[in-house]
Amino acid sequence: MAIRFGKKQKGEDEAERTSVLWETLTRMVKSPSAKIGTFLFAFIVIVCILAPVIAPYGVNDMDLLHLKEPPTLAHPFGTDALGRDLLSRLLYGGQYSILLGLCASLFGNGVGVVIGCIAGYFGKTTETIIMRVMDVWASIPGMLLCILVSTVLGSGFFNTVLALSIGGVPNGVRMTRGQILGERSKEYIEAAQSINCSKASIMFKHILPNVISPTIVGTTMGIGGTITMAASLSYIGLGVQPPTPEWGAMLADGRSSMLTLPHLIMFPGLVIACFVLSINLMGDGLRDALDPKLRS
Amino acid sequence: MSEKNTFLSVKDLEVIYTSGKKTVKAVNGVSFNLEKGRTLGLVGETGAGKTTIAKSILRILPDPPAKLVGGKIYLEGKEINSLSEDEMRTIRGGKIAMIFQDPMTALNPLMTVGDQIVEVLLLHNKYSTQEAKNEAVKMLEMVGIPGERYIEYPHQFSGGMKQRVVIAMALTCNPVLLLADEPTTALDVTIQAQVLELINELKQKYSTSMILITHDLGVIAQTCDDVAVIYAGKIVEMGSKADIFLHPTHPYTQGLFASLPSMTDHADRLTPIPGMPPDPTRLPEGCAFHPRCKYATEKCKSGSVPAMELTPGHFCCCYNNTAKEVS
Amino acid sequence: MAGETLIEVKNLKKYFKVPTGMNHAVDDVSFTINRGETLGVVGESGCGKSTLGRTIIRLQDATDGQVLLHGEDVTTVTGKKLKQVREKMQIIFQDPYSSLNPRMRIESTVKEPLRLSGRFHSKAELQEETERLMNLVGIDKRLRASFPHELDGGRRQRVGIARALALNPEFVVCDEPVSALDVSIQAQVLNLLIDLQEQMGLAYMFVTHDLSVVRHISDHICVMYLGQLVEKAPTKEIFENHLHPYTAALLSAIPSTDIFKPMQRVRLNGEITSPINPKPGCRFAARCPYATEACSQPQELKEVGKDHFVACCRVKEIN
Repeated sequence: MAIRFGKKQKGEDEAERTSVLWETLTRMVKSPSAKIGTFLFAFIVIVCILAPVIAPYGVNDMDLLHLKEPPTLAHPFGTDALGRDLLSRLLYGGQYSILLGLCASLFGNGVGVVIGCIAGYFGKTTETIIMRVMDVWASIPGMLLCILVSTVLGSGFFNTVLALSIGGVPNGVRMTRGQILGERSKEYIEAAQSINCSKASIMFKHILPNVISPTIVGTTMGIGGTITMAASLSYIGLGVQPPTPEWGAMLADGRSSMLTLPHLIMFPGLVIACFVLSINLMGDGLRDALDPKLRS
Repeated sequence: MSEKNTFLSVKDLEVIYTSGKKTVKAVNGVSFNLEKGRTLGLVGETGAGKTTIAKSILRILPDPPAKLVGGKIYLEGKEINSLSEDEMRTIRGGKIAMIFQDPMTALNPLMTVGDQIVEVLLLHNKYSTQEAKNEAVKMLEMVGIPGERYIEYPHQFSGGMKQRVVIAMALTCNPVLLLADEPTTALDVTIQAQVLELINELKQKYSTSMILITHDLGVIAQTCDDVAVIYAGKIVEMGSKADIFLHPTHPYTQGLFASLPSMTDHADRLTPIPGMPPDPTRLPEGCAFHPRCKYATEKCKSGSVPAMELTPGHFCCCYNNTAKEVS
Repeated sequence: MAGETLIEVKNLKKYFKVPTGMNHAVDDVSFTINRGETLGVVGESGCGKSTLGRTIIRLQDATDGQVLLHGEDVTTVTGKKLKQVREKMQIIFQDPYSSLNPRMRIESTVKEPLRLSGRFHSKAELQEETERLMNLVGIDKRLRASFPHELDGGRRQRVGIARALALNPEFVVCDEPVSALDVSIQAQVLNLLIDLQEQMGLAYMFVTHDLSVVRHISDHICVMYLGQLVEKAPTKEIFENHLHPYTAALLSAIPSTDIFKPMQRVRLNGEITSPINPKPGCRFAARCPYATEACSQPQELKEVGKDHFVACCRVKEIN
């Protein structure tokens, strides 16, 4: 975040900026857990992108001789009720699920951060109005809000992203505002004011980099929830439509036969868990890498 | 200091902090004796290791990162650093009590001040709850807080009042040794004067021995009997108050006095000690002060400088210790 | 160099609304500061001395009253004019830990005001001026890429000073700039401030609770109690011939380093109360050993000697 906002500043040294980005990345990979997270994330993303090349079967190919089959050599993850290969569907499904989860979580929290900054920095009436609106917003169940937006806008990738992210906004706002309240009273904010920094510059250059850490963690934690929520959306016929494979939807499909065919929920569940874990580890690493106090 | 009166004795105390691969020598072979009823002032700059010394006496150093690697501590002739954690718990708050710098964080904001004192009392004595309550009210009154305020919460007290509560808590079990870590630094001058007066009164009344940690030479002058000057985890000069204030011998002690703006005469410029305190991860060889010292010679740059006794009871770790006496 | 009036504060008031009423943080304060001189403002925590400094340099808006810079009222200016005013009036903060952005390298911190001023058209000029400033306050070149947490308090405070001086101010509010520092470092920073004052002809308003520091650096001293000035005089006069009972109490409370001079303090009862909805009359009366009926009337700052003002109706009887 710090880097992105840094770019907007005129007159910043170009070389210095790239080196900051590079430094942040290299430092991020330094901690062992972040290293594992990054590799896991990269692995999952790459195999999903390469799905058309490496998937053993087509996404909707039905093997009618092997319905509901547990893992075998031919179908390493088994097949579902229609005889479709689970591994191939997971690989193809990742393309949607990963993009959907990342986009919705980033978008929702990003909007939340900006609104939270405005509320926290300006205070007074602005803050009161924003926070009361957020209270109302947050009091509507996320799922309901999601269905509402989805119904109004219809299905499609971007509409689904919007529908999924909208419930996360109040959370982002509250988290950012709370952090800013603590940071606002520090003297370096006053110092920035006294050297004629513009309000936008104080907000995004001085305050934001200092309050963003919990939001980074919050965002990464939210991705798993978003993916499962996307599943619920497709379950009720909104969002991504079958037969398009999608991790959450596959999980939901397998639920009915959980006891008899455990592999139908085990593999999608495992994949989602691994993906969320990789993002969490990466998020932690990113947070630490952005904090100059933790560099040694 | 005669051996038979010695009541607290610290010998060659060494404490290190480890963070990652770095090792910080926080306390570097500190030895001192404290007689019954006397007050020893530990003076030095931030990071010199003053608080670490106090915390290692009470054995409340956070381990890790801190580690006591050497030295012995005797209280009333008994070695206390080999005691078990259970035995230590009865000493803490019972025989030895500590007053912390920040009264705002030393009290639990969710308990009334009276209940907090009662808690300490019940932990160390066989009182009934009612007796403990009466005792707590007495303690509050002793430090100048009306007994009715027993039922109030810390936020209802001002800073100076909170520090009084903290002092009352520290004194509840009649400790024989009081460790006061910058007890007045967070307070305003007029309040500081009240609190120092209170500490002095109580000390005389109960003949408690005390170690007072501060960076304020004025506070030392007004409350202590003996003074130890600490630099980079070592006592560089130690003696009675008169020794240190009238005949400061170590160049660091002299530098401290010279940096103070005077209240009596007017100089245009102050004479600060040049340079910065050393990085504790890379202490200079030899005398740790030599890079900032104008008297430093080749001899100062290697080996440890032994303590030399100038006059009875006045010790100084400096080779250049005879020629300089302050008029 | 000295003599010309730079800042004139007239009946300045700053009130804050709090749940229990109105906090009179600064209440009817007036004084002047000449070019190249230092005014010390002394008082205990909560007396409004920091708020006073921040209100003068427009970090906070005044409730009432005027601040004249070169005879021009700056309390109501906005927009471009406010920017110009802020360049002339800067502040050095108390806490060297919270006054620097922890995520900015110190060089960027010093460079930022220079860049925002728009005075420099090329990167080379900007860099040159940054280096000049860092050199001026004595920060080693090799530290330019450090983050604040890697420096000790004294060096951090130097960075804060460099940032304040970057805009070539005429007036600097020093808000307890040395109280968080160790004595040996404190002396270095005080010397630096005095040198910079001589070189640049700066006027300081030096806010502190440490009387020995204020005695060393100030030409005039104002003593504040609960938002009001109780005594104002040249430094020498305050220390040798103070007239207000609060000044006397404050001076007597400093622990002396003279071991043969035990504290002879003027005993004050209680503690500083809050300036929320104060009653008219002397605010010190509740703790004052000399208070009488007459003290419940509003007190005016009256001239009792050359340049010596006291707000106490019993000043003649007490002294």
